[in-house]
Amino acid sequence: MIKYFFNRVLLTLPTFVALMFVTFAAIRLVPGDPVEVRTGEHGITPERLAFFRHELGLDQPVWKQFFDYVWALLHGDFGTSVVTSTSVVKEFFTLFPATLELSFFAMIIAIGIGVPAGAIAAVKRGSFYDQALMGISLVGYSMPIFWWGLLLIMFVAEGLHLTPVSGRVDLIRFFYEPVTGFMTIDALLSDQKGAFWDAVHHLILPSFVLGTVPLAVVARMTRSSMLEVLSEDYVRTARAKGLSEFRVIGIHALRNALIPVVTVIGLQVGTLLAGAVLTETIFSWPGVGHWLIESLSRRDYPALQGGIMLISMMVIVVNVIIDVLYGVINPRIRHG
Amino acid sequence: MRHFWKKSLGVAATALLLGTTALSAKTLVYCSEGSPENFTPALNTTGTSLDAARPVYSQLVQFERGSTNVIPDLAEKWDVSADGKEILFHLRKGVKFHSGVGGFTPTRDFNADDVLFSFNRQWMPDHPYAKVSGGKYDYFNDMDMPTLLDKIEKVDDLTVKMTLKEPNAPIMANLAMDFATIHSAEYAAFLDKAGKKEQLDQVPVGTGPFQFVTYQKDAVLRFKAFDKYYAGKAKIDDLVYAITPDPTARLAKLRAGECHVAVSPRPADLAEIGKDPALDLKSQPGLNIAYLAFNTQKKPFDDKKVRQAISMGIDQAAIIKDVYLGAGQAAKNLMPPTIWGYNDKVEGYKFDPAKAAAMLKEAGVTGPLDVDLWWMPVQRPYNPNAKKIAEMMQADLAKLGLNAKLVSYEWGEYRKRLQNGEHMLGQLGWTGDNGDPDNFFFLLGCAAARPGGQNLAKWCNKDFDDRMIKARASFDVKERTKLYEEMQVIQHEEAPVFTIAHSVVYEPTRKEVVDWKISPLGRHEFYGVDLK
Repeated sequence: MIKYFFNRVLLTLPTFVALMFVTFAAIRLVPGDPVEVRTGEHGITPERLAFFRHELGLDQPVWKQFFDYVWALLHGDFGTSVVTSTSVVKEFFTLFPATLELSFFAMIIAIGIGVPAGAIAAVKRGSFYDQALMGISLVGYSMPIFWWGLLLIMFVAEGLHLTPVSGRVDLIRFFYEPVTGFMTIDALLSDQKGAFWDAVHHLILPSFVLGTVPLAVVARMTRSSMLEVLSEDYVRTARAKGLSEFRVIGIHALRNALIPVVTVIGLQVGTLLAGAVLTETIFSWPGVGHWLIESLSRRDYPALQGGIMLISMMVIVVNVIIDVLYGVINPRIRHG
Repeated sequence: MRHFWKKSLGVAATALLLGTTALSAKTLVYCSEGSPENFTPALNTTGTSLDAARPVYSQLVQFERGSTNVIPDLAEKWDVSADGKEILFHLRKGVKFHSGVGGFTPTRDFNADDVLFSFNRQWMPDHPYAKVSGGKYDYFNDMDMPTLLDKIEKVDDLTVKMTLKEPNAPIMANLAMDFATIHSAEYAAFLDKAGKKEQLDQVPVGTGPFQFVTYQKDAVLRFKAFDKYYAGKAKIDDLVYAITPDPTARLAKLRAGECHVAVSPRPADLAEIGKDPALDLKSQPGLNIAYLAFNTQKKPFDDKKVRQAISMGIDQAAIIKDVYLGAGQAAKNLMPPTIWGYNDKVEGYKFDPAKAAAMLKEAGVTGPLDVDLWWMPVQRPYNPNAKKIAEMMQADLAKLGLNAKLVSYEWGEYRKRLQNGEHMLGQLGWTGDNGDPDNFFFLLGCAAARPGGQNLAKWCNKDFDDRMIKARASFDVKERTKLYEEMQVIQHEEAPVFTIAHSVVYEPTRKEVVDWKISPLGRHEFYGVDLK
């Protein structure tokens, strides 16, 4: 088991090296560096340009910049933002709870609606409900998030006044300093009456938008997995024993059908983080997705490199944990 | 029993008091477009960052709200020496700094040390704060302050003497700019002692109308009215910046009443905003100009007749309609009409292709002529789509027998090549910094016509340049106005550039916002604003 664990960890090393290289190179392929981007019609004197390039190490050969960057990373130094002069790690972890909270609620919506919807579609296979649901989930899966978010803002928030337009909390009614960075938890800690529900109210629309694609995937996966399970012998046996239909489907079939669904949910983490970039921009959500976009437009190399590395590291670590857990659950995998 | 009544009465009174306080607190929410980089204006160049710091600070002089006029701020008055080289600033007495922000409690009022600290940080490379937070003082350098300044001295606690290398009237407008913000030298010393120098730029302490409360990155920025502000407490109690990057979301929040003022609406939304009974839409030409420069060093553009002919041959109205989509005003002078000294008597070139063709013929341009026409690869505040403008101009020029080849480069390279004069016809523009006419006219001065200079027409006209230098040296606004008006006549006649447009700035607010003024300088200012 220990050997298996180290094998998995060792396998991530090439991924890290590739990641370091790709993040470093890709950013430099975009025209304009952090100094030039700041310069407007005023221009900049060659002396000042040279001075600031030197300060940021941009006058060094690219290979040297790369090795300096790798060396710093190996020492746990993710750099300092050239725009705000704040540590990249500090900026990232100030914003990350917002992304995590949004993704968590998006996943709750995806699972909470996707699993029952998919299960019912499987049970009522071929019915109008089944076809309509699968049609809707296909539309949901193909929906451009930006467009979908704006549409919901216009109809649900602006038209029907059912939810706030954007933001995390009503800024006129509530004011509390962040403690954990999770608005719902901070609202509870603040002891301000109504703050928690207001924070949840603000989460509904962005979570629904971010959860749309995973919801569609989960619903479709649940349906196909349920269909497979429903034709298994043990389901027939359960029915023959005279169990109620609810018990047969809800306990015997659905529990088994959920195994592949859980795997798919794990894979949706990447989709959520990618979707967060757009969702956060539309809903003024102060998370890492929006921060990365801003850093790109300002050519803030350290923030971009550090941010992408931190996110990628999290995805890799989660994958290693899942791999190792599979090994724990299923000995055939670790000996394979 | 008596005790019970007493207690109940007390509770009711407290509740009433709290209720009244909550009801009477006026909170204005401003939907801004982005997060500030930090809170020291001297370090920043973006409007977003400058807007975020401005409520906290004051300068020696300030722009009157809603105009480009320079009026007193921390300097009550100033005297200029006869030779125009010395300015003596008399500082306001008893001005308080914000207290309790970032763990700092001031022990003294504002004085000359604060002025010296604020300028020397940007000017002296060996200043203890010079390198803090990156130390890029772009505006201080862009406005040529190191070249203009000779000395800044403390005469006494309430008097500062600024000595210039040569007389320069526009410096007063420079001093009203955000980079000339006055910081507390005492706060800086306090942070230095605590080993937290960076905090000076993260947690701002100033003498302005609003005191910093908190900033949550990418989410919200809060201020409260400073009750000891020297000009009196602001009419609103709390000022909240709700950071909302998406323009559609900003408008939706404004409509839903989640904010009172929203920045930069999309041109496509303007018509709808205008119809909304809950909203007000104010507009004004921006402090900018988009232009097409004729390289007067290259034939046939060395001939003013050719330049005039092309100015008549370009359909300016079509560009305003199709490219600016209503958010642009046809320009006839280099500077926008919101700046003092604007000469409204100048008449723009009327679109007349037949006359233009005849004038070209007169100038000897008879056969088809190949020219290059440059367009910048980026969107700018004054030009939403340079490529489209170039294509429209190309079509107009074709009718005059000029085959225009469209040219573009990466933005940095583009500017460099234009400044070196590699183009024949080149598009660029300018966004004003300080509302002083000189800040626009220097673009056509002889000094800027050198290779690498910002005069893209490479045009040097003695009549124009002499007037500009004379106006720069005079502190008499009347005299300067006359000179600038004359310069605009010369510029129109000589046509070194074809002035395309000034973009129009729109600012929607909710109806309950009282006394909102659009700033010609693109600022968003909240002191003096009230809520119904």
